[in-house]
Amino acid sequence: MKHLLALGAASLLFSAPAYAEPGKWTDEPVRIVVTFPPGGTSDLIARVLAQYFESEFGQKAVVDNRPGAGGTVSADFVADQDPDGTTLILGNNAPFTIAPTQFEELPYDAMGDFTHIAYLGASTPALFVQPSSGITSIEDYIERANTDGITYGSSGVGSITHILGQAVDASLGIEQIHVPYQGSAPAIQDFRAGVLEAYYDMVALNGDLIKEGETQPIALASPERSPLFPEIPTFRELGHDIVIENWTGVSGPAGMDAEMVETIHDTIEAIMQMEPVIEQLAKFGIAHTEMTSDEFTTFVGGAITTWAPLIKAANVNGG
Amino acid sequence: MRDFLLRLQHSAKEKHAPHAYLGALGGAGFLALSIIFIVGGFELGVGAPRRLGTGAFPVITGFILALLSMGVIAADLQDTSDAEKPDWISFVAIGGALAVFALTVGRIGLVPGIFLTTITASLPDPSLKFPGKMALAAVVALACWGLFIGLIGLPFDAFMGFN
Amino acid sequence: MEILYSFGNGLLVALEPANLMYCFVGVFLGTFIGVLPGIGSMAAISMILPLTFYLEPTSALVMIAGVYYGAEYGGSIASILMNIPGTPSSSITCIDGYPMARDGRAGVALFASAIASFGGGIMGMIIMAILAPALAQLALNFGPTEYFAVILLGLVAASAVSNGSPIKGIAMVAAGLMFGTVGVDITTGAERFTMGIPELRDGVHLVIVAMGLFGVGELIVSIRANARGEHDNEIDYANFYPSKAEWKSMIAPIFRGSGIGSFFGALPGTGQTVASAVAYAIEKKVSPNRAKFGKGAIEGVAIPEAANNSATQTAFIPTLTLGVPGSASMALVIGALMMYGIVPGPRLLVDHADLFWGLVASFLIGNVLLLILNIPLIGLWVKLLKIPYRYMYPTIIVLICVGVYSLNNNVFDVWLTLVFGWVGYLMRLFKFEPAPFLIGFVLGPMMEEQLRRAMLLSRGDATVFLTRPISGTLIVITALLLVYAFYSAIRQRRTSKTIPSTSET
Repeated sequence: MKHLLALGAASLLFSAPAYAEPGKWTDEPVRIVVTFPPGGTSDLIARVLAQYFESEFGQKAVVDNRPGAGGTVSADFVADQDPDGTTLILGNNAPFTIAPTQFEELPYDAMGDFTHIAYLGASTPALFVQPSSGITSIEDYIERANTDGITYGSSGVGSITHILGQAVDASLGIEQIHVPYQGSAPAIQDFRAGVLEAYYDMVALNGDLIKEGETQPIALASPERSPLFPEIPTFRELGHDIVIENWTGVSGPAGMDAEMVETIHDTIEAIMQMEPVIEQLAKFGIAHTEMTSDEFTTFVGGAITTWAPLIKAANVNGG
Repeated sequence: MRDFLLRLQHSAKEKHAPHAYLGALGGAGFLALSIIFIVGGFELGVGAPRRLGTGAFPVITGFILALLSMGVIAADLQDTSDAEKPDWISFVAIGGALAVFALTVGRIGLVPGIFLTTITASLPDPSLKFPGKMALAAVVALACWGLFIGLIGLPFDAFMGFN
Repeated sequence: MEILYSFGNGLLVALEPANLMYCFVGVFLGTFIGVLPGIGSMAAISMILPLTFYLEPTSALVMIAGVYYGAEYGGSIASILMNIPGTPSSSITCIDGYPMARDGRAGVALFASAIASFGGGIMGMIIMAILAPALAQLALNFGPTEYFAVILLGLVAASAVSNGSPIKGIAMVAAGLMFGTVGVDITTGAERFTMGIPELRDGVHLVIVAMGLFGVGELIVSIRANARGEHDNEIDYANFYPSKAEWKSMIAPIFRGSGIGSFFGALPGTGQTVASAVAYAIEKKVSPNRAKFGKGAIEGVAIPEAANNSATQTAFIPTLTLGVPGSASMALVIGALMMYGIVPGPRLLVDHADLFWGLVASFLIGNVLLLILNIPLIGLWVKLLKIPYRYMYPTIIVLICVGVYSLNNNVFDVWLTLVFGWVGYLMRLFKFEPAPFLIGFVLGPMMEEQLRRAMLLSRGDATVFLTRPISGTLIVITALLLVYAFYSAIRQRRTSKTIPSTSET
C-alpha cells in the first residue's frame, strides 16, 4: 500500500496523451455522490477519485454517501442539483439501467436529467456451484436443474446477480429456485453452510474461495475470459449469449457546459491511467476501458434497452 | 386526530384522572394499526407455505399484536393509578424544533438552521429569557459548525443561499 | 500454547509505538463520537477512512477497531446521564443507568459501565483468541432455520425486558416486528406500507427509531419535570466508587453478559443491540437482586454493557473470516481491508496471522486505554449534570437532528424522527416502554427473511425447524422458557388472589 501511494503521490507514471487539459474545473469543492453506504467497492472508488482529484489536480472533492432505494435516492438528488460541476454521481446499473425499467414512477429520467461524463469500468459476475456436487460443466448444471432442481443465492431482488440468474433461466431453458440475500456475503455464508446449491457473484471477490476449493466456478458473464481467471469459460463461448456486467461511471446533472464535461472526463481518464489506480481497481476486479462522454451516454441508453426484457422477466415488482 | 388530542387534553385537566382512559387509548391505537397491517398484508398477498408472500409476515404479526392490544385495553381499563399529565407545549415545541431543522438545513445551511432550531426548542422553558435563548442558539450553532464540519468533516453546507 | 505464542507475537505488533498511538487515537475518537446521540462509530470510521490509506493495514485496522469499541464505551454515557442512548445498543443501559443518575448516583453508574465494558471487552477478546476458528465454524453451522430459532429465543427473552405490565412488553415486541416490515420486501422486491415514499423503501433506520422513541420522547417528558425542579437531586460529585457489595454483585453479571455477548457477536447481523437486550432479560430472571431492576440496579447497568462490548469484539470474527459484515461499521472494516487487497475470508487467519493477532492484542491494549481514559472522565461527565437543563435540552435536540441527518444526508430522516419522537412521547403517556419495541424492530426483518428463506429451501416443510439439531434444541429451549413464564405467572396469580389481575396472559 505504501509503495502504491508513494507512486501515486509522485505521479511518476502520469503522462497525458492527446487529451484536453486535465485539471481543476471549479473553485468550489466537488461532491461525489455515492449510491451505497461507506465501505463498498463503489465508495472506495469514489474515495480514490476524490483523493487523486485533490492530490494531482488540486480539485477539492468530498464523498457524499446517499444510499437508499437502489440508488434512486442519490440519482434523484443529483438530477436536481445545479449543473456547475460541483455535484457528480458515481453511477452504476442500479439507478441508471435497472431502475428505469423496475419502477413505474421514477422521479428522474436516467437519460434526460443527466450528463453522462465518463465510464470507469465493469466487473463480471459468474455462476458458482458446490464443489461436492459433482457439477463441473454447464451441461451438468442443466441436467441437475432439470432433475433435482437448483436453489441459487443472489445479492438481492433486482440485483445484477438476480438478473443474471433470470438470463440463465431463459437462455438455458431451466428453472432455478431464486433465494435472495442482502448482498453476496450472506449468500456465500449460506452456500458454505451447505444450504444453497449455487450462487452468482462477482468473480474477483471469490478468488480465495476458488483457490481453497470451497467453490466451483462454472461460467463467466463477460464477453471474453478474464485475465485474472483464464481457466473459467464464458457463457458466450459455451453457446449461451449472456453478457451481464456491473458497470460504474461518473455522471452529473443535465445541462453541464461541454468544455467542463471534457475537462472532467479527461481528468478522470488521466487518473484511470495511473498505475496505482489500475492496480487498485484490479483488486476490485474492475477492468477499465476508455469511452468518450458521447460513447458513455450511448452506452447507458443502450444498456437500458437491452436489459429491459431481463428485468421484466425477473418480475421485480417494485415501484 | 384533533378530536383525539382534545380528548387527551381534557382527560389531563381532570384532577387525578385514572390511567384507564389513556391506557385504553394506547391499546386502541395499536389495535387500529394492527388492523391496517392485516388488511394491507392480505392485499399484498400471503402466498403459500413454500413461498410465503409479501403480506404474510405483516398479517401474522398484525394478528398477534391485535390480540395483545385487546389484552392491553382490558388490563388498562382496570388500572386505577394516576395518569401521566401530558405537556402539549413541549410536545409541540420539540416537534417544531425538529421541523425547523428539517426545513432549514438544506435551504439556508447548517449554522443558521441550528440557530433557529435551538431557539424553537428553548421556547417552552420560561426560565430562560429571550436574549438568553439567542445567546444559547448562537453558541450551539457555532460549536456545531466547528465540531461537525470543522472536526468531523461531515459533508454539510454551513451557510447556503447567502451570496 | 500455540495461542499464547501467537498472542505474544500479536502483542509485540500492537505495542509498536505507531500502532499504540493509532489505537489511542481510535478509542479516544470513538468514545467522544459515541457520546453524541445518533452519531455512531459509522460516522467516525468514515471520517478516518481516507486517513487509513496512508497507514499499514494493521495500524489502520487497529485504529478502526478502536473507534468501533470506543463508541460502545461512549454510547452508555449519554444513556446514563440523559436517558438518551448514544448508540442504539446502549438503549438497554438507559433502563437502569438513568434511574441511578436520577438518584444522584450517576458517577457510580458510569463507573460500573466502564468496568463492565472493560470486563466484557477483555472476555470477548479472550474468547476471540481461543475460539476464533470454532466461532467462524459456528456461524457456518447457522443456516436460515437456525437463525430463525435463535431470533425467536431472543424475542421471547426480549419481552421480559419491560418493567411495566408484561402484556404491554410482549405487545411492544409484536409492534416492533410489525413495523419492521415497512419498506421493500427483500424476498420479492414489492413495497410494503411505504405510501409511495422512496425514502421508506429501505425501511426506517434503527438510529431514527432509537433517537425518536428514546431521545426525543424523553426530552419532551423531562422539560417540565426539570422546570419544576423534580430532577434536582443531590449529586455526590466526588464519590463514584461502587460499594464493596456493589462490586461483588457486578462480577457474575459481567461474566454472564460477556458470554451471551460473545455468542451473539459471532453471529453476523444479530449484533450488540440484541446481545445487550437478551443479556438484560436473562439477568432479570436469574439475578438475586431482580426486584430492583428498572429502578436503578447496578447489575442492570453492568450486564448490557458487558454484553455489547464483548459482542463488539467477537463481531470481528465473521467479518474477518467469512467476509460477512454484521453491521454497517463492519462493512467499513471490510472496505478498508479491501483497499489493501486483503480479502476477508477463511485464509485471513493463516495468510495474515500478524494482522489478526495484532488486532486481538490491540483489543487488550485498547480496553486498558479506554479504562484509563474513562475513569478520570467520569468526574467531568457528571459535572455535565450541573449545567441547567434549559441550556442542555435545546443542545441535545440539535445533536439528535445533526446525528439523524448525517445518516443519509437526507432531511426526510429528520421528519421521521419527529414522528417517532411524538409517538415515543405518547407511548410514555400510555405507559408503554420503548425498549421491547426497539428489539422487535431490530429482529423483525431478520426473522422474516430467515423464516421465508428456510421455508423456500425446505420446499414448504415447516418441520425442518424441529428436525435440524441446532434449531430443534433452540426451539425446545424457547418453548420451555415460555412454559416456565406461564407457570410462574399463574402461580403468582394464585398466591395473590386478592389483587385484581392486570394481565390477560
